[in-house]
Amino acid sequence: MPGSSSKSGGRGPSSSPLPHAVAPPSRPLRPSRYVPVSAATFFLVGSTTLFFCFTCPWLTERFSVAVPVYNGVIFLFVLANFCMATFMDPGIFPRAEEDEDKEDDFRAPLYKTVEIRGIQVRMKWCSTCRFYRPPRCSHCSVCDNCVEEFDHHCPWVNNCIGRRNYRYFFLFLLSLTAHIMAVFGFGLLFILYHRQSVDRLHAIVTLAVMCVAGLFFIPVAGLTGFHVVLVARGRTTNEQVTGKFRGGVNPFTNGCWKNVSHVLCSSLAPRYLGRKRCTQNVSVQPPFLRPQLTEAQLAAKILDNGIQGDLHRSKSSLEMMESQSCDAEPPPPPKPELRYPGITRENTEECSLLNKAPPTPTMYKYRPSYSPGKNHTALTHAYANQVKRDSSSSTSSLLQASQQPGFRSQPSLDRREAPTDRVGGGAGADRREGGRESGGGGIPGYSLGGRSYPSFSDASVLSGRSSSSAHTSTGTAHISEATTASFKSLANQTPSPHRNGSLSYDNLLVGGEDLNKVGVTAAPELSSGKPCTAVGGGFNPPLLLQQREADLQASQSPHHHHHRSSHHHHPFLHRSSSSTSSSPPPPPERERLLADLPPGLQSSAPLSQPGPHHHHHHHHHHHHHSHHHHSTSRPPRFAAPHAPPHHHYPYRTRSTDTPLGSTNTIQSLHTPHPPPLGKSLSYSSAAAAEMQYRLVRKASASAGANAAGAGGGGGMGGGAVQAPKNLYRRTGRVLPETQRSSLPPPHRDELKRTNGGQPFSCSTPSSPSHPSPAHKPQGGSVKKVTGVGGTTYEISV
Amino acid sequence: MAETHSLQDLRHQAAVIAKVFIQRDYTNGTLCQFQTKFPSELETKIDKQQFEETVRTLNNLYAEAEKLGSQSYVEGCLACLTAYTIFLCMETHYEKVLKKIAKYIQEQNDKVYAPRGLLLTDPLERGLRVIEITIFEDRSLTQ
Repeated sequence: MPGSSSKSGGRGPSSSPLPHAVAPPSRPLRPSRYVPVSAATFFLVGSTTLFFCFTCPWLTERFSVAVPVYNGVIFLFVLANFCMATFMDPGIFPRAEEDEDKEDDFRAPLYKTVEIRGIQVRMKWCSTCRFYRPPRCSHCSVCDNCVEEFDHHCPWVNNCIGRRNYRYFFLFLLSLTAHIMAVFGFGLLFILYHRQSVDRLHAIVTLAVMCVAGLFFIPVAGLTGFHVVLVARGRTTNEQVTGKFRGGVNPFTNGCWKNVSHVLCSSLAPRYLGRKRCTQNVSVQPPFLRPQLTEAQLAAKILDNGIQGDLHRSKSSLEMMESQSCDAEPPPPPKPELRYPGITRENTEECSLLNKAPPTPTMYKYRPSYSPGKNHTALTHAYANQVKRDSSSSTSSLLQASQQPGFRSQPSLDRREAPTDRVGGGAGADRREGGRESGGGGIPGYSLGGRSYPSFSDASVLSGRSSSSAHTSTGTAHISEATTASFKSLANQTPSPHRNGSLSYDNLLVGGEDLNKVGVTAAPELSSGKPCTAVGGGFNPPLLLQQREADLQASQSPHHHHHRSSHHHHPFLHRSSSSTSSSPPPPPERERLLADLPPGLQSSAPLSQPGPHHHHHHHHHHHHHSHHHHSTSRPPRFAAPHAPPHHHYPYRTRSTDTPLGSTNTIQSLHTPHPPPLGKSLSYSSAAAAEMQYRLVRKASASAGANAAGAGGGGGMGGGAVQAPKNLYRRTGRVLPETQRSSLPPPHRDELKRTNGGQPFSCSTPSSPSHPSPAHKPQGGSVKKVTGVGGTTYEISV
Repeated sequence: MAETHSLQDLRHQAAVIAKVFIQRDYTNGTLCQFQTKFPSELETKIDKQQFEETVRTLNNLYAEAEKLGSQSYVEGCLACLTAYTIFLCMETHYEKVLKKIAKYIQEQNDKVYAPRGLLLTDPLERGLRVIEITIFEDRSLTQ
């Protein structure tokens, strides 16, 4: 393998894909890549040849034949190692096949953490090669391959240096240093003996060779010394240069001696590419043997509901833990694994795993094609179970609604809170439903925790939701903070879903949902910079409290809110009183104003109005206040299906909060200002409006909620496109004002950002399956839903 | 692909239901070891002990392949002395053990896994990252 064939060397086997393995695709020929290796080869071979031709003969005669022999051997060693370093496959991983990453959809984490000798090491997802890079593996951008134990990409050999060829590279450096030193030394000897005849050709050539040798000696020796240190420390160049173990402990070191012996004496690692596949001639035919279950196993199966079994999934524990961090994502529509429909999925594992502490912060790799993995099916099922208890068909739409990436955090919150919520929620829901029946539509108490964008066509869903949301609000607040960090990347990519969620309530024509609350919730979350979906909505900013107050007054929700926790009511009362005092437009005005606004906007109007007034006073009570506010303000917003405001009073009076009687005043607070509508919209950008439309669509087609949800999951704008468009327009119009007035800078920036991005996404909908105007005519009805943290959201339906 | 081969051979017999991936166990560094945790998908298909024994044997074999012993040392010296031309005629220690592993996997498939509707795939085909276990449909149950 002569080193002179540098060009062919550049196209050596190290980079050539081989047939049957899933090899990296061939890259276009780039001549510039071969310049360094050509130059290196030229200088190496050329200089040594000149040395042998001009210097060595005299040295051989003068001293001994050992001189050229020694130099010859060293040069041969240099060449051999140079060729091995150049042509040998450094340890390229073949691309993972599709089957392997079927469970890693775009919501899977970007990093997986693995513990190596007690040290946490991150494995990053390689989007090109489609697997999580093993420790010490890195993807070379020049070669476009993941290389095992990646050291660096050496341009002088035009090859990556990795596990397989590091030894040869290291020996090449050692031998080249020795060779340069020998050439320089013998050349110097020659010159010293030929000082008088320096003008002779031999001397001139020798001088030239000495110059080249001297020139290359410094960098080569430096690099050699550097690698000697690396080998002794057991590090790769990549790790050293990126400072991975700066001041820390290297988990891959075995001590100096063992590190050196590993580099020099270990057996040549196998090649992964270019192997001929040995066909397995195995016949697999049924009937298949089945293991005998021991009694203990059977008992365990009965008792653990498959949870323990789920914990033993084939997926590595790492993957499971990481995927559990994704469980905050909304579950996809329930459907079997795409590729293997026959496998029985054990979904309870996600439930149990969700109860564990959140894993290390994860970033989520964005992959454009989304295929619901088993995590999602599991989540779906878990949520389905949860939903079934509390609600009706709208839950499926709820689940579908929560499929948006922005909702990711919520499912986990819901799950954690679910047991407790259901207890309270169930009771509250019952009461609410009872109250609703009597009152003609109370505040929906039920909410699936963070996933606050169900279709609100079903009153029971609403009631269920608000109750659970009240319980989960505080929990959601905390959890969302924790989980939002992990969704950073995705949040950055798709900020709109949060907004969508927040606005989703606005267009819901189901009574009782507190869209504003949802929007409010989204806003604070957004302002905090977290990619919380608006679902959680536990953080009603003070601004939105006003709106909620107005909504609450009209709604029957206070009834169930009170049941939840009295402390919620008191702050609410305070707020309502304060809001009452601050702006007293009469309820009829408000209703008129609401009626004037498009259905989608109505809910937001009340929210936005009181905001500025109470923002600084009651921010700490916003959870509770919004909760109540919405309930109180609900009645005026309902166009038809809801009883007149006074019907809500029975709910309110049940609570200890007397100020409920101030419904009118509170309501009046919300009526007057169309701009506040924009404010509420400002919290949720156009993207949020998309979500709303989708939900509204679902709401309008409650019977077909499942279908709508399925469609909604796929296309944001489908069906309810037209309604969102109005919101978008309004948002664009109103936002600047509202943002300036109501939002702190972070909110503004974020909202503006999302605003800019989202309107277009909304306007590019899938084919509208449901005519969005269908729910518009209902207009004026406001549904209140209790969001996270006890805040009540008004959703104009 | 080995899977394709086996599928082509077996299409008339059984269909692939799912694939289970046994990941690498990195707790001891980058040594090639696989996790012995029993995947839940295989619970109804194979005994836990059998599965663990298979993985443990594989782990032992891989440890033997990567061992820094006298054989690998001699091999390295010889290769240096012959300017690595010895690799053209001689098989490295690692490759020898890999052949042993391939034989072991084949034997396990024949004796243990195929009768249970499973198929082990040599992790070498996946870059020694995962052991792929293909689960086949049990037509006898569905019929």
